[in-house]
Amino acid sequence: MPDTREQPDNELLRSVARGDESALAAIYDRYSSILLGLLLRILHSRGEAEDVLQEVFLQVWRKAADFDESRGRAFTWLVTLARSRAIDRLRALDARTRAATASAAEPSEEVSDASADAFRAEQREIVRRALAELSEDQRTALLLAYQEGLTQTEIAARLNQPLGTVKTRTRAGLMKLRELLRDKFEGANALF
Amino acid sequence: MKGHADYKDALALAALDSADEAELRALDAHLASCGECRAELRALRDTAAALALAAPPLAPPPELRARLLAALKATPREGARKPGETEREAVAGRAAASAHDAGRGSNVVSFEEARRGSRRVIFSRPAFVFGAIAAALVVCALAAATVALWRSNSAMKSQLASVSVALTETRDELGEMRGELARARQERELLSAPDARTADLVGTKAAQSARARLTYDARTGEAMLVATDLPPAPAGRAYQLWFIADGKPLPGSVFTTDARGRAETHGTIPPEGRRAQGFAVTLEPAGGAQSPTGEMYLRGTT
Repeated sequence: MPDTREQPDNELLRSVARGDESALAAIYDRYSSILLGLLLRILHSRGEAEDVLQEVFLQVWRKAADFDESRGRAFTWLVTLARSRAIDRLRALDARTRAATASAAEPSEEVSDASADAFRAEQREIVRRALAELSEDQRTALLLAYQEGLTQTEIAARLNQPLGTVKTRTRAGLMKLRELLRDKFEGANALF
Repeated sequence: MKGHADYKDALALAALDSADEAELRALDAHLASCGECRAELRALRDTAAALALAAPPLAPPPELRARLLAALKATPREGARKPGETEREAVAGRAAASAHDAGRGSNVVSFEEARRGSRRVIFSRPAFVFGAIAAALVVCALAAATVALWRSNSAMKSQLASVSVALTETRDELGEMRGELARARQERELLSAPDARTADLVGTKAAQSARARLTYDARTGEAMLVATDLPPAPAGRAYQLWFIADGKPLPGSVFTTDARGRAETHGTIPPEGRRAQGFAVTLEPAGGAQSPTGEMYLRGTT
């Protein structure tokens, strides 16, 4: 029995597709903190974010067989699931429930697996540095799109900028980020 | 006909799920016939996913993991076969059917019929009387047992209810304390940034005891607002934060309060807002507004 903490994401997802609960737990231990951080950014509410986190992992449990590694990375698949569920939730909620649930904040705990966490902390640092190299405008456009789940039209309205300008910045930002992150990591669990 | 170059913007926006409807439809049609663009979209999605790491990670509470793992048992996987009727349902069904038969028997067969010696009468009269007494005794015993069970059941239920109330209260208190801690931690983290700013907002005439503190990193725009003692927003309305830069109000996040008038909201302040000198909170339509329309509840400066 291999140690699940060492297994690549792809293999874990294959085990989940066969109904292996410990594989799902391993994926959860690996990514729940990253995903919860992202969900909180999108939903602005701890309670909603935790709720969606659970939905996401139940969906992983049900749909792991749909994951096709020839069509993208496991991490991308997970993040895409999490974002789309969060954005659906955001659209379904009105502002009222959003803030009402925000106050029902639940506790945060220390991350348990220190070595895996160190690896991801390093990747986080690389992303942070890469983002710092983008122009302010590019960074803002990217984060509004990705973390706030806004469409280009909504970003243009929010920033009071022409739509074409916003699109150009968003695309330029993403292309530059790709250049900056290229070849940063090798290996099965590299996030990019 | 359009070439790949014409879809470059759309691909990047689609990778971020930030494209508008019409753009997405046109792109979909092109992707159906273009492997090169499909591959490019996949690569861009991988890059976009890295942005997930730009948000500070947050460890979920351990109960969430336990709850999730418990929920797996109740969640069939795609393609997994459905469980059949459970043993308990089957037993309950059979019991109901036999009770029904027994009831019909005792009601339909009258004493007269029994005496007339129809095929149903297989007992002599003394045997019948004996049987009736025995049946009555069984019924009494069952009734007594039922009452005893019911009493102990309701006693246990009320004990359980009071334990569960106590547990909920403890959990709520714990949740609150942990919430405070998490907030304090996040505030400390924000405050330790080199470009940290705080603004204290005080209540206007509309809400004199209301207070709020906005903490943000002027470089990244990462921000949190905690407000207390705001009156609950009426239905269809919500509070909105404004950044006042060069005398112009810029829209910020929209929020409402809990029952105690508390609110907490997290977000990213757009670049112009980070230079703001003043801040205000007004009451607006629930979806927020582009410029303030409602009454001001809080205001403050850096």
